[in-house]
Amino acid sequence: MGDFWFELVEITQTVGDGLLFGATYALIGIGFTLIFGAMGKLNMTYAAASLGGAYVGLAAFTFVNAPALVVFLVSALASGIVGFIAYLTCFRFIPIHNHLAALMASIGGLFFIDEIVIHTTDGSPLTFPAMFEDVMFEPGPFGIRGDLLFVFAVCIAATAGLLWVLYRSRLGLATRAVSQQDVAARLCGIDVHRTNAVTFVLAGLLGGIAGAMTAAAVGVLSPLVTVPLTVKGLIVTVIGGLGSIPGAIAAGLLVGGLENVFLYFRGVNERDMYVLLLLFVFLVFRPHGIFGSAIDQD
Amino acid sequence: MSYYLGLVQLIGIHTLLGLSAYVLMLTGQLSLGQAGFFAIGAYTAGILTVIFELPILPALLSGACIAAFFAFLVGFPALRVKGLMLVVATIAFSEFVRLFFFNVSWRVPRGDIVVGPDSTNGFREIRYFVANGWSAWEITAFVWVFVLLAMALLWWTDRSRAGAVLRAVGEDELAAQSVGINLTAVKVTAMAAGGFIAGIGGALYAHTATYVDHLTFTVLLATFAIAYPILGGLSSVFGTLVAVVFIQGVLVEGLRFLGDWRNIVFGLLIIAAMNLKPSGLFDARTARILKRAVGLEGRGQPGA
Repeated sequence: MGDFWFELVEITQTVGDGLLFGATYALIGIGFTLIFGAMGKLNMTYAAASLGGAYVGLAAFTFVNAPALVVFLVSALASGIVGFIAYLTCFRFIPIHNHLAALMASIGGLFFIDEIVIHTTDGSPLTFPAMFEDVMFEPGPFGIRGDLLFVFAVCIAATAGLLWVLYRSRLGLATRAVSQQDVAARLCGIDVHRTNAVTFVLAGLLGGIAGAMTAAAVGVLSPLVTVPLTVKGLIVTVIGGLGSIPGAIAAGLLVGGLENVFLYFRGVNERDMYVLLLLFVFLVFRPHGIFGSAIDQD
Repeated sequence: MSYYLGLVQLIGIHTLLGLSAYVLMLTGQLSLGQAGFFAIGAYTAGILTVIFELPILPALLSGACIAAFFAFLVGFPALRVKGLMLVVATIAFSEFVRLFFFNVSWRVPRGDIVVGPDSTNGFREIRYFVANGWSAWEITAFVWVFVLLAMALLWWTDRSRAGAVLRAVGEDELAAQSVGINLTAVKVTAMAAGGFIAGIGGALYAHTATYVDHLTFTVLLATFAIAYPILGGLSSVFGTLVAVVFIQGVLVEGLRFLGDWRNIVFGLLIIAAMNLKPSGLFDARTARILKRAVGLEGRGQPGA
């Protein structure tokens, strides 16, 4: 009985931690889904840009000793700028219906950003300042890490901010119009290129926050994280349903929680394998994701 | 000399990798999972020659068949959804395979040493060619027999009804379906054929390199696989070969003096190429101009 009780507490704790950390996956997923919703394209530079932003934030901390809030703002801004550059170089001038070329170009962008990071840091992992590390809430037998709670809170705030922009501002109205019917939007006098660029910047801002959050929660920044984070972001996007923001949030939390369950039972080396299998479970049983529409989308 | 032979072998193996993506791209699908099939071929064939001490040919074909089988398995769920979803599914598959081999440890004593895949330390003792006294020339010829075979088969397929079916699916799925083509069957077949070719490539790679580990089969390799047919265009198999020679022979070897900066340039070159020539560097138009320049323009497709 005692053992079982202990085990149950452990697992609940693990899942709880995972859910809190899953908020960062949700943010990355939202970024992918936003751009997919707007242009019907995958922006493969996204996770690399997010981590790139976090590196700039880290630089602000290391060289100017900026406070936590500034580190996050700098990360978000830097990643937003990278998002804009990615739009200009990989999407703006490539024919709108050529998905392959845009995808290839953005993969090129992914390697480019990754290589720049590897070059400036010599490829070695850097420590990222932890936040609220010594804060710990202890309701009953559980412990809630202050830094994870902070990550979760910031992610919720960022998502709320995004939803406000999308549904309560003229900018968001234009973005949604372009994503629903770009020809109709153009006829209404909306500048599609400008709107798409804004979507990329918005997604980039979110990504920078997510990148800095991931780094703060894990404690280190390393170029080795780029591809796994890209893959996890894509998985979250697909599981949630391409183009669905609530889906990306739910899927992000789901992946975060399950990831820790896999970690608990199978160890760190096998964890990601099961996360990847999760995608195939969804592809077989629910190919359009949790909240995806049943309409086939390319 | 052996350096150049090594390069020729590598070009052959990468051509197989590119062709495996080419088959699938004819049907309009893009897979970033070719590195995974390549890895399955490499590890399976390596295990068969090292642990089970099979001759190279059966090992190679078994590796290719198992890779094709997994391509078939991945194809079904992945092709229910299409386009960019397939890209995501195949990246996930490729990473799954990589992590799987990252965890596989199967060590068997052989004489006074221990052989077999050793998870993070890689699979070191794939020395079939050395143990059987093959010269570099013989290995190169062996690799290119498979490359030429694959190219000839695909070239011939392209001129048969099967090629027309593949391209019909790639051009317009709805139109293809309305003339009675079973889309899923065609795509899954193309996927399996691609898996088979990538498996052969992987098996040859493992035996020429004598050493593989999970870091050999990253998303970068999968990107190379699709970059070849995209650069070479889909008008014929020779485009892929030209692209491999261009990237591996000219860019990768030619830019060696740039050292570490080479990888940065690689990313920029992809971006530049896609902006300037979104439908491939050697698309139908360029190919025609080239042919005319060398005086080969014969019964081509005018206005294609």
